[in-house]
Amino acid sequence: MESLQIPHQPPMAMRPVLVDASQLASGVQPHHCRNRPNHQQTASPIRQLKPSILTRLHAGYFRISLSFASQALLLKMLTQPAAGNSSSNPPPLGHFLRSDGPFRSISLLFFWLLALVAQVLLSALYTLRCCFHFQLVKAEFFHHVGVNYLFAPWISWLVLLLSVPTAISEIKAPYLALWWAFAIPVVLLDVKIYGQWFTTEKRFLSMVANPTSLISVIGNLVGSRAASRVGWKESAVCLFSLGMAHYLVLFVTLYQRLSGGDRLPAMLRPVFFLFFAAPSMASLAWNSISGTFDTGSKMLFFLSLFLFASLACRPALFKKSMRKFNVAWWAYSFPLTFLALASAEYAQEVKGTMASVLMLVLSALSFLVFLGLMLLTVLNTHRILREDDPILRFDKDRSRN
Amino acid sequence: MENHGNSDPIKQDSPEGLPSLIQVISSNGVSGFDSIEGRSDQFLGPSVQETARGSNSKLVHAVSISMPSSPREADTPNAKRVLFANNDEPASGDGNPDSTPSGHPKRTTFYSQPMPRRSGENPPRHPRVHALKDKRFDSFKTWSGKLERQLSNLRGKPRPTSPEDGSSTTPTAPERNLPVDRFFDALEGPELDTLRASEEIVLPDDKQWPFLLRFPISSFGICLGVSSQAIMWKALATSESTNFLHVSTIINTVLWSISLALVAIVFLIYLLKVIFYFEAVRREYYHPIRVNFFFAPWIALLFLSMGVPPSVTSKLHHALWYVLMAPIFCLELKIYGQWMSGGQRRLSKVANPSNHLSIVGNFVGALLGATMGLKEGPIFFFAVGLAHYTVLFVTLYQRLPTNETLPKELHPVFFLFVAAPSVASMAWAKIQGSFDYGSRIAYFIALFLYFSLAVRVNFFRGFRFSLAWWAYTFPMTGAAIATVRYSNEVTNVVTQSLSVALSATATLTVFALLVTTILHAFVLRDLFPNDIAIAISERRPKSHHSHRKWFHLRHGSSDTRDIENYLKFATSEGKDIEASNSVDAPSPDGNNPNVQA
Repeated sequence: MESLQIPHQPPMAMRPVLVDASQLASGVQPHHCRNRPNHQQTASPIRQLKPSILTRLHAGYFRISLSFASQALLLKMLTQPAAGNSSSNPPPLGHFLRSDGPFRSISLLFFWLLALVAQVLLSALYTLRCCFHFQLVKAEFFHHVGVNYLFAPWISWLVLLLSVPTAISEIKAPYLALWWAFAIPVVLLDVKIYGQWFTTEKRFLSMVANPTSLISVIGNLVGSRAASRVGWKESAVCLFSLGMAHYLVLFVTLYQRLSGGDRLPAMLRPVFFLFFAAPSMASLAWNSISGTFDTGSKMLFFLSLFLFASLACRPALFKKSMRKFNVAWWAYSFPLTFLALASAEYAQEVKGTMASVLMLVLSALSFLVFLGLMLLTVLNTHRILREDDPILRFDKDRSRN
Repeated sequence: MENHGNSDPIKQDSPEGLPSLIQVISSNGVSGFDSIEGRSDQFLGPSVQETARGSNSKLVHAVSISMPSSPREADTPNAKRVLFANNDEPASGDGNPDSTPSGHPKRTTFYSQPMPRRSGENPPRHPRVHALKDKRFDSFKTWSGKLERQLSNLRGKPRPTSPEDGSSTTPTAPERNLPVDRFFDALEGPELDTLRASEEIVLPDDKQWPFLLRFPISSFGICLGVSSQAIMWKALATSESTNFLHVSTIINTVLWSISLALVAIVFLIYLLKVIFYFEAVRREYYHPIRVNFFFAPWIALLFLSMGVPPSVTSKLHHALWYVLMAPIFCLELKIYGQWMSGGQRRLSKVANPSNHLSIVGNFVGALLGATMGLKEGPIFFFAVGLAHYTVLFVTLYQRLPTNETLPKELHPVFFLFVAAPSVASMAWAKIQGSFDYGSRIAYFIALFLYFSLAVRVNFFRGFRFSLAWWAYTFPMTGAAIATVRYSNEVTNVVTQSLSVALSATATLTVFALLVTTILHAFVLRDLFPNDIAIAISERRPKSHHSHRKWFHLRHGSSDTRDIENYLKFATSEGKDIEASNSVDAPSPDGNNPNVQA
């Protein structure tokens, strides 16, 4: 498919996402065939790579599949009774859906499958990228923002695991096996990155700290929740404490803003939403560890609510990044979903009107943002898939990043 | 000489004769006169004091001149600045031509200089001078004085005819957002209220400013100090562990009434300041230390609600809590957001012990809410307060080199360290229902900080008294109250004697502070000195700002640099005039001609 090589092909851009995905899938083979000679020609210098999907697809694209997965989780939480609670505890939105069980589960299944497809696709592409453009992946690993997004695929897998449409107790064995498969890379990345924070001089925390570092914390917390959902309390507490200890350090460092904010390009401002994604996920994790939405979870939830309000009051902060659509905009979606998830659990515990209203508002907001982003992505597929990401480019000379 | 788009819409306030008078004065080599009115134009007239310094003759003649913003202005006799050296301005009056060196445009200095001598020298013009001087504060008034004029017009008071009412050009809005760097550059001291030697202020220093301008927001500290005392005496009277003291509730009632009156008075005065001198309030908001005191009124109201005597009421309506916490919530959103995302006001740059005031509000609100019986709201504010307190605590303990506002020596402001943990311990105890481990941990931290400061009381000497010191007493009172609550839980001789000791210390401190305040108020009469901290200029006097229109003139050369060093009130313009006069260096943007114009 020659057309894939040529940017700005209007007919291509018009197709909806799914079709594009299949086109991509079909287009990959000739694509990488074409790339192979390129790759052999330009083995060492990175600059001369022919731009293609594989060179452009950096780990930040996993924001998309993470958003899909977290929306599936939100849908599951809103429409199905919580796993640990008694069956008499109705799901928050249960009474809103007039139709009976099958419809709910079918819609949830459909959504989950969609998320799964997106994740599988992205993972496949990224694996190919690792195979054929390993230098680019290495460049990502050494970049202070890119390295944090290496957690993103594993977080998406874990969230997919959490949002599986069936009850977890029925699929315990495969669930555990998969949990191990996804949690181990997270821990390995932790060891590497957190160790660098205080040992490697070029990568001291005070130099590399930026809001995307919170993704590593979120990874630990999601792993913790996934573990406690299946009953493994010790691993859950272990990952939780790991995440929270580093969250404390990061929280203070990011608030201090020692280096004056020049660590993050203005176009990446959407990642500021991660500020409230981390405490929301911490609240969810602690909720599943301790069994009830106790004071600790409430405090974390309130903190994330406050940070969200604080960011929502500052639209000027995001103005610069909202000029042109780029894949960083997907960073708006999953933090909102995490916040909505935490508010759903809060509303389940504190059965008041304010809490339910809050949950509805946040869930609606997260869903709307998700839909909006989907729409924008569909309309701008050429920009995402065929143009280089203006912010994180790893196929250029590393010094430019 | 053409003005270069003189951006200063100078208020045409000065009465006619004044300029000439001033010129006469200046011709004597008196340091620049200030004829400025409103700083709205940022360049308040005056000038160069260099004359007084006896530097070279050129300087002597330097007289403050301001470029006329328009020919019309030049003609108007009351153009404040007046005096154009080369201008055959009639209005300039007599002394001018003599005093100015030939053909050299006097620079327009834009800073009002303090005029120590001048004020005394205008007796015949006194009423006018008086009126003129009133105008000098216009830049700090709301809408640059228009509100006052409206009000006095409404009252039918005859206004001195000033052409500016009708014909003045609209004053340029004063720089709205004074960058925080200016405050750090211009001020020093643990409360950032002392002017550095090289800086100058835009309001006259020699005369006493209007009372409202001198009334800082840190006056709310008195309310904090007294209302926390009321709470302490209430706790002493109603706790079982201190029953042996037989403290009556009368003390609480009396103190509460006094604090109620005080809060009302201070609120009223500050409200008047907001109405009449909004620009001054804005500048206080931009001050990195004073901004924290904007939480003080609401904390004082929270204290009042907590200390309400049982005889008045024992149950407060929940709505009151929401009403009191709303302003705190909004302020927090703003301030903490600035810490997180503000470029120049980020925490590593502005962290100082007064930031505790912005954190304590959360804990006080949580305590009050939990006392009232609310459940979720107190936890919300406790969580937010705890998270940000952690950040602040770590930052202050780090004593980052980028942080200039921590005083090197001990100052009463350090007592604010004790405030947050002690109130947090009480709030957590109320939320949880009992003084459990979390509260005890916080309480012991507070106690440790208290003692580590108390044993260093010798190092708290040598600081100028200011009203903000009242704000530093409430942590001591808070620690005393926390001790009383702790002794309720763990009742033994040690805790009881500790509560007595701490309460006595707090009371004595407040009493001593009261005596000092009265002394300063009535004997020394300097309880409300001129509030220098809000009157700093927007630009460094010595720096070269190329964006200033007049700037091409200034071009500090080496020979003027030593002159600069001698001059206390030197303005760059003034020096540069000399510099340009002497060396006639090409300006950075090559626009020399206007100087000569």
